[in-house]
Amino acid sequence: MTDPVPLRVTRLTKRYHVQSDGWLEAVADVSFEVRAGECFGLLGPNGAGKTTAIHCISGFYPASSGQVFIGGFDVHADPKRARQILGVCAQDDTLDSDFRVLDQLVRYATFFRIPVAEGLPRAHALLARFGIADKANEQVESLSGGMKRRLQVARALISAPKLLVLDEPTTGLDPEMRRTLWEILMEERAAGVAILLCTHYMEEAQRLCDRVGIMASGKLLDVDSPRVLIERHIGADSIDEEVRPGVVWKRGPNLEDVYLKLAGTKLHAPSEAG
Amino acid sequence: MRTLDSVWGVRCVWLRYFDVFRKSLTYYLVTTFSEPVLYLLAFGLGVGSLIGALKVNGTVLSYRSFVFAGILGQTVLFQGFYEASYGGFVRMYYQKIFTAMAVTPITLSEVLWGELLWDATKSTVAAEVVVLIGVATRDFPPVALLAVLPVAFVSSLLFAGMGLTVAARSRSIDEISYPQYLLVFPMFLFCGVFYPIEQLPAVLQWFAWVLPLTSVNSLMRTLTLGLPFQVQSVPILAAWLLVLVAYARRSMYGRLVK
Repeated sequence: MTDPVPLRVTRLTKRYHVQSDGWLEAVADVSFEVRAGECFGLLGPNGAGKTTAIHCISGFYPASSGQVFIGGFDVHADPKRARQILGVCAQDDTLDSDFRVLDQLVRYATFFRIPVAEGLPRAHALLARFGIADKANEQVESLSGGMKRRLQVARALISAPKLLVLDEPTTGLDPEMRRTLWEILMEERAAGVAILLCTHYMEEAQRLCDRVGIMASGKLLDVDSPRVLIERHIGADSIDEEVRPGVVWKRGPNLEDVYLKLAGTKLHAPSEAG
Repeated sequence: MRTLDSVWGVRCVWLRYFDVFRKSLTYYLVTTFSEPVLYLLAFGLGVGSLIGALKVNGTVLSYRSFVFAGILGQTVLFQGFYEASYGGFVRMYYQKIFTAMAVTPITLSEVLWGELLWDATKSTVAAEVVVLIGVATRDFPPVALLAVLPVAFVSSLLFAGMGLTVAARSRSIDEISYPQYLLVFPMFLFCGVFYPIEQLPAVLQWFAWVLPLTSVNSLMRTLTLGLPFQVQSVPILAAWLLVLVAYARRSMYGRLVK
């Protein structure tokens, strides 16, 4: 059955065995939904469980318990229909380096039953939109890190998905390219695409997301719009921040302050797990 | 419906490999076909001219014909194993294309079937090149081109299963060397590629029969040279095939999915 809500995550839990630590509960009883035309951010440091959650949401990892519905289809019971409307940009570089830039998009489109004749103009349009049209016939390996990242987001859009899942999409991009990508994501959102954005960039979440879920140690600590989260947990008063010894800046409260208060750790805390 | 969908998924993956193969045809032709051709020239024409005829299972035949059929078995071993082990490891670990494909409407199970079937296809084509040369030199009858096809494909799938298992269970690409030296090379040297295994001591003969390449070589020689059919080769191959393909898929699934 189809569902007007592109993504429903219900009590998702994921445990797996870690050799050194026994069982790890990477995602713990997480529930949220992402509506059409909404950008939902999962904000948390490395190791918060965001990437594991995304693997469960895409159906790549089975859930230990709970359910994930994409457009009304259970992604674990009916992955083909669920993923037909899903576009994923993984955190890692998963570009197929056996193909040139353009061919890569066209081949990937065939995985969504998009014939080459239809995939080709889509691929050209996406390359132009992402500013890499002149690289169409280049090998993927010859692209810079930023270009690869753009190509990977472009590839996630080749099937015109209703749900776009992006795991740290702007990592490695320079400020200009980051803004260009933000603009493209906002265009997609305006066109009705639901976006699930995992990031540890507080500014990105605050700027792009209609709602944000703060995640730490596998748990979703709170969900709301950035403004409401800041008001609820920090208030409206400006904050004095000592940026270096003896230098104090006054600034407005932000999502990082919310995160610090809820999780008690910094967003950029180093960790191994995703 | 689900079966048809799965067939479509496997076909998509297979076509992805075929597309890569087609676009780098020269590279693949050289790397895939030069090895068996060099072996044929060196052992078939070179060593073969020194040895002349030999008697195998009561049949007298030229060493060149004997070794041509052995190189057929060696070709499916090397092509199937190396494409799935080193190639599979690169695709799984460095390129991460299994992961990339398995978040589309293609499932991981279909990705792995597509990988195995492509590896087997490529290896079968290489084996057919060896048969073609054998037919051209009149060591094999023309009908061998068709007769060998199913055995070549099944054996290629078996060795691809072995290779993919190795890829899934190796922590680094260097670790693939262990099964290469401890399993693949012993098969290459002791399973009847270059000489009849009856020349070996009884213990080594028994050991050779346990390994799948001996059965592959036996069947290939029956189909290309008309040597007596050794019935044990079929159940041995079937058992290895079922175990290795299932274990490869399970190992790779365990490696990628938490």
